[in-house]
Amino acid sequence: MSLTERRLSWDWYEGEIPDNAKIDPTAYVETTYSFRFFRSRLPAGVEYGVGASTYLGTMFDVGPDGRVKLGNYALVHGARIICDSEIVIGDHALISWNVVLMDTYRLPVNAADRRPEVKRVPASEFRIAAADVPAQPIHIKSNVWIGFESCLLPGVTIGEGSIVGARSVVTSDVPPFTIAAGNPARIVRSLTPEEMKMHAA
Amino acid sequence: MNRDPQPNVSQPGQWADGTLPPNVQLGANTIITGDLAFKRFHSREPGALRIGAHGTMDGVHFDLGEAGRMIIGDYCYFTNAVLLCELEIRIGNYVVIGWNTTLADSDFHPIAPAERIADAIACSPLGKGRPRPAVAKKTIVIEDDVWIGPNATILKGVHIGSGAWIEPGSMVTRDVAPRSRVMGNPAQVIGEAS
Repeated sequence: MSLTERRLSWDWYEGEIPDNAKIDPTAYVETTYSFRFFRSRLPAGVEYGVGASTYLGTMFDVGPDGRVKLGNYALVHGARIICDSEIVIGDHALISWNVVLMDTYRLPVNAADRRPEVKRVPASEFRIAAADVPAQPIHIKSNVWIGFESCLLPGVTIGEGSIVGARSVVTSDVPPFTIAAGNPARIVRSLTPEEMKMHAA
Repeated sequence: MNRDPQPNVSQPGQWADGTLPPNVQLGANTIITGDLAFKRFHSREPGALRIGAHGTMDGVHFDLGEAGRMIIGDYCYFTNAVLLCELEIRIGNYVVIGWNTTLADSDFHPIAPAERIADAIACSPLGKGRPRPAVAKKTIVIEDDVWIGPNATILKGVHIGSGAWIEPGSMVTRDVAPRSRVMGNPAQVIGEAS
């Protein structure tokens, strides 16, 4: 795919790749539907590395100051990426279907503060709730594997080579080369020397 | 982005991708999007689904059984929620429901194995006209100003009090007190929503 080609010949959705999406020619975008709620105003609102790919079900719900970066060979098989600051997905990371990566809750936790923001939704251009609540970047380091329907909450870092089990809700950082699972997620164990064999440090 | 808090009220409620079933009523400026919104809408109740004004129902599945009834208040904002309703779901005003969250007011099948065999046969292509065994159903109530995150599940009989905050991925099996904050599977109170 050339960078000048903003429509995809195989796309079922009549959309375009946004101008500020920097996509490596070797990367794969299954559908531009993934950019339906993409409204980043940064020069590189989304970046795809060499051989990175996003498939149906992936949605870049990215606000004006949000930036998403997919590393080389990162595979996103259908994640809701809610980003108002920065979400970085490392090289060779595997993200399964219906995963939620959110660096912000988008709305105030206090109901009295939330109501006026919810009232704004039907008048906003995208009909999206987008209040000025703090965003905390999410970092998924290289070689991470995230199981299906998991949620990563604002501010979470998943260390290199770690695994997050299916349907986990990750509320705090996961160290490198560790398996975490559960809702809320807890550390299950570290990877064994046997499993670490062949891993180039 | 337009930050005008006064939406255009002159527009009647509409489903952007099809013709609404006759027993669905939408308030002014309410928008439903998605080809599959009414794919599994089977309710025969008059006024089966009523949604107030200024609602945003983006990619929501209104899966109502034959006797299902659902009422949703004003200014509700749901993203790709799956609403499974065999009996009754009542949702207040200013309620937000996140992406891929499921509400189910029924177990859909009986607990007893023998009854489940009968149900599997009744539900099969060979079971046309066979009566199905009774299944547990209980009304779900969600009060005003509740926020429910993405990938959450709300089970039958749950009553969520006003202003509560349900964290992403929560499995809500019991009532949630007003203004409390819950998370986990099963969902437990982790604090106040303030």
